[in-house]
Amino acid sequence: MRLAALRNMTIALPEEAPPACIEVRDLGVRFGALSVIEKLSFVIRQHEFVSLLGPSGCGKSTLLRAVSGLIAATEGEVLIGGETLGKQAPSLRLGMMFQKPLLLPWRTTLENIVLPVEIELGGQTVSHNDLARARRLLSLVRLDGFEDAYPQQLSGGMQQRVALARALMADPDVLLLDEPFGALDEMTREALNEELLQVWRSADTRLKTIVMVTHSIQEAVSMSDRIFVFAARPARLLEALEVSLPHPRAPESVEFARCLGRVRRLVREQA
Amino acid sequence: MKSAIYIPMAFFTSALLLMEVLVRALDVPAYLLPPPSAIFAAFDLSLLRNLAVTLTEAFIGFALAGCAAFILALLFVRSPTLERGLFPIAITLKTTPLVAIAPLLVLWLGTGWMSKIMAAALISFFPVLVNTVKGLKAADAEYFELFRTLRASAWQEFAKLRIPYCLPYLASALKISSSLAIVGAIVGEFVGATQGLGYLIMVSSAHLETAVLFSAIFAAAAAGILLFNLLGWAERRLIFWQRFDAE
Ligand SMILES: Nc1ncnc2c1ncn2[C@@H]1O[C@H](COP(=O)(O)OP(=O)(O)OP(=O)(O)O)[C@@H](O)[C@H]1O
Ligand SMILES: [Mg+2]
Repeated sequence: MRLAALRNMTIALPEEAPPACIEVRDLGVRFGALSVIEKLSFVIRQHEFVSLLGPSGCGKSTLLRAVSGLIAATEGEVLIGGETLGKQAPSLRLGMMFQKPLLLPWRTTLENIVLPVEIELGGQTVSHNDLARARRLLSLVRLDGFEDAYPQQLSGGMQQRVALARALMADPDVLLLDEPFGALDEMTREALNEELLQVWRSADTRLKTIVMVTHSIQEAVSMSDRIFVFAARPARLLEALEVSLPHPRAPESVEFARCLGRVRRLVREQA
Repeated sequence: MKSAIYIPMAFFTSALLLMEVLVRALDVPAYLLPPPSAIFAAFDLSLLRNLAVTLTEAFIGFALAGCAAFILALLFVRSPTLERGLFPIAITLKTTPLVAIAPLLVLWLGTGWMSKIMAAALISFFPVLVNTVKGLKAADAEYFELFRTLRASAWQEFAKLRIPYCLPYLASALKISSSLAIVGAIVGEFVGATQGLGYLIMVSSAHLETAVLFSAIFAAAAAGILLFNLLGWAERRLIFWQRFDAE
């Protein structure tokens, strides 16, 4: 008996789950009388890609804000890499891409992208290496040739892509994305999905964990390890669906279709 | 663009011509309304000298007030306590008419330059203060959230977000203040002075030299318009990103 248990343990070891990256415990957020999030708990582990799906206004953006520490939890707590959010910077770096592009209108595309590095450096000038990295990110988001354009000269979708490049420029461990590809056509969207997955998997960046809000079920299924489906306000976690398909995922495959159907049913049930 | 200048110019010239004809035809006494030709004849070196005096006073007052108001606005935004304490006082001072304060300024600072500079500074101070405070806080809350997630210091938030965001607000305040500064200097000269457009207006009206009086009025107006447009030109060059918004 004992021996069997011991063997089980040794076998379990290599399969042990990676450490928790984001832990949300009994989180509650309210704005005055409006309770947006109630008793929400989940754990997101390192090297996980999680998508958040839910009806408009259910509190997805609010959840990302609470996780990044921009708004205080009314109840419960959020742990990043095991540390509570507070004044001190957590040892894991958080990067956030907001639902709006939030580009600075007096900066060119390239200048907008290097903003995080500029802020981190304090007074020092941005190095050639960083500028080269910014240029690589610029072409990663398919904006070659627009480095000297001002935000007002870019379309909504282009502005979003600049915002994504800027979020990546900060070289975060954890990336929180709020509808990053909402304003993009299908083609560009798929290309950028693929690029993002590649950045996430590549060993050159510290990026380990991605949490992405999306309204596209297809996008959620094609990218995530897990999909959190939320019910309308106050946000409750209806289900955390595991998507155990290997990458790259073929949308034509039977497994993909089955998974898509499952998520669709869940989303439809509560609509 | 060109017609924006030519059309008003054409109307203005026609009005002057009409005035010339009417004044002569109706034989209006020169001390009431001199014909435009007489007014232009009164444009001389002494008018230019007085104009230069007033402009210098106005400009120094304007520059001092602009800098002081900008710095105070920065302090207000950094310290809400300071703002809550001083803003009501600032508003009270603003609503007190300058004409009521000007005699006091002359009493304290004499009939020389200083009282005029102070009058110009006082009147041009508040638009800059109010607008700059507003502009420094005007960025969307989400921009501040962005800077917080980037862990920007308060100083960086000012340098890279608040101040650039405030520039359009500052520019429109400076345009308003530039005209006000000329008013301030002239009001200061009314109370007690030995030179300047205000002095010229007082003296010529006392002597019924109405043509000189008119020339001084025209000079004051022209200086105000010139300053306003000069600042507008600088604004369009420096704050280029607003142009995209407007179009
Ligand atoms: N700062 C705030 N003050 C008051 N209420 C807020 C605030 N922020 C969000 N809310 C409310 O919280 C609810 C959830 O908003 P949130 O932006 O999180 O929704 P969402 O799920 O991101 O929606 P969408 O998919 O449309 O972006 C909304 O009803 C909104 O009115
Ligand atoms: Mg949202």
